[in-house]
Amino acid sequence: MRRFDAGCAAFCAGVLLIVLPLSAHHSFAAEFDGKKPVRLEGKVTEMEWINPHAWIHIDVVGPDGKVTNWMVECGPPGILIRRGFNKSSLKAGTEVIAQGYQAKSGSFRANASSITFKDGRRLFVGGSNPDLPENQGKP
Amino acid sequence: MPAPISFRGLPKCIIFVAVAGAMAIHSAGQSRPDALTKNGTIAAVKPWIPAKTSWGDPDLQGMWPGTDLLGTPLQRDPKLGTRALLNDAEYAQKEARAKLVGDDAQDLPGNIGSPIWWLERGKPTRQSSLIVEPPDGRIPPLTAEAIKLGEARDAKFHLTYGVERKVHGSNDSWIDDVLALVEPYESNLYDRCISRGVVGSILPGEPGGYNLGNQIIQAPGLVVIRYEMIHETRLIPLDGRTHVGSGVRTYMGDPRGHWEGNTLVVETTNFLGGKLGLLSHGGGTPYSDDLVLTERITRVAANTINYEAIINDPKTYTKPWKIAFPLHRDPNYQMVEYACHEGNYALEDILRGAYAEQTAAESAGKAAK
Repeated sequence: MRRFDAGCAAFCAGVLLIVLPLSAHHSFAAEFDGKKPVRLEGKVTEMEWINPHAWIHIDVVGPDGKVTNWMVECGPPGILIRRGFNKSSLKAGTEVIAQGYQAKSGSFRANASSITFKDGRRLFVGGSNPDLPENQGKP
Repeated sequence: MPAPISFRGLPKCIIFVAVAGAMAIHSAGQSRPDALTKNGTIAAVKPWIPAKTSWGDPDLQGMWPGTDLLGTPLQRDPKLGTRALLNDAEYAQKEARAKLVGDDAQDLPGNIGSPIWWLERGKPTRQSSLIVEPPDGRIPPLTAEAIKLGEARDAKFHLTYGVERKVHGSNDSWIDDVLALVEPYESNLYDRCISRGVVGSILPGEPGGYNLGNQIIQAPGLVVIRYEMIHETRLIPLDGRTHVGSGVRTYMGDPRGHWEGNTLVVETTNFLGGKLGLLSHGGGTPYSDDLVLTERITRVAANTINYEAIINDPKTYTKPWKIAFPLHRDPNYQMVEYACHEGNYALEDILRGAYAEQTAAESAGKAAK
């Protein structure tokens, strides 16, 4: 069973690798560097609610105490709305962890493969989005 | 762990896997009865008398997103031959894929792309391709003239950038294996938020896609069609006026409409050739000035319209071809203003990325000397 799961996961990962970057407005490979993974932990400063992609801005404190404002690319606002997420869902000051890949240019921009809250809850899971802050405690 | 992504030289079979994967993003759901018959024509499931507008035209108004078409490829898998609909086993496989890659897929190891919640989710359909004519569901071969033009474009690209490419004759997909190579140099009209053309606006993205809203609004003597992505709006006069002069050429062409019974027929000419193609988002081999697009839109049920478009461009394709599919009404679908240029950080990142790579390569070259 374990073996099957691993195979299944590898299959899915392979499919996603090919599919997801290409579904963006542009090619993933031209904008981001698959060899530069980043893990960004910090406080949300702003959410830009714009097409073709929304962007979350996060203040990340480095080991030297220096604060860098990173921009993380999201889906388009239309889709986020259909997932139950809106412009004011992610309040400034919310602590999040984004994992993704840095822009090829080396600027402080990244494509996020996953975004989680500090306690490990994931953002945008499932159609009813129980993980959204305003949905907490609802059945 | 899969290797870092590179699309160059990807074998075609991988592209098929990509398309299959896109099918899998759909949430499994109840399938609707397909209006597509086995020979590829579209027919109403049962007779339907559409409501009329207050001035007496058949009422096509509403929000008709193409979300359910996600995962249905423009061109049919050659293995399926002339079969317009998937059989039970193939459809079950499509549904199974949708279950396999579900909402939690964003946590799968090795996903270096965007999370699954970026993408729209439709209901899988049985339609095997959006192209229904020719009967094999494939784009007909290019004319010798179109191939020659494509080769000339490739040669010019090589001369300008010193990079060899072969785009000519590529009708396999918008997802060209040279896309990543070409993009920093020549971002297409879609990347630049300018236009996707008429056909590129109505087709769903391939393999994945989003922002597939289509809205129809009517007024006496006029039908208006809005497309969400790149916010194109077509004003289609119904008053029998002639087309504009042949010197006037635009990305979206010059449409004229009339009613044939309850069907809206729109003939569009005066396209600006050599810029956009007819694949999703305006990709693929550019069409010529001579393209004539004939669309037929018929409401066949309260919540279904059938859309058909015949593509006739004898300078580019050796014979006409036709796409046809149903669109389902979703009054809850909301379009967000697609002000794309202002927020198009991607283009900036792509150009900066290409510059950084070029600079690094030049430094490495100098160091080697």
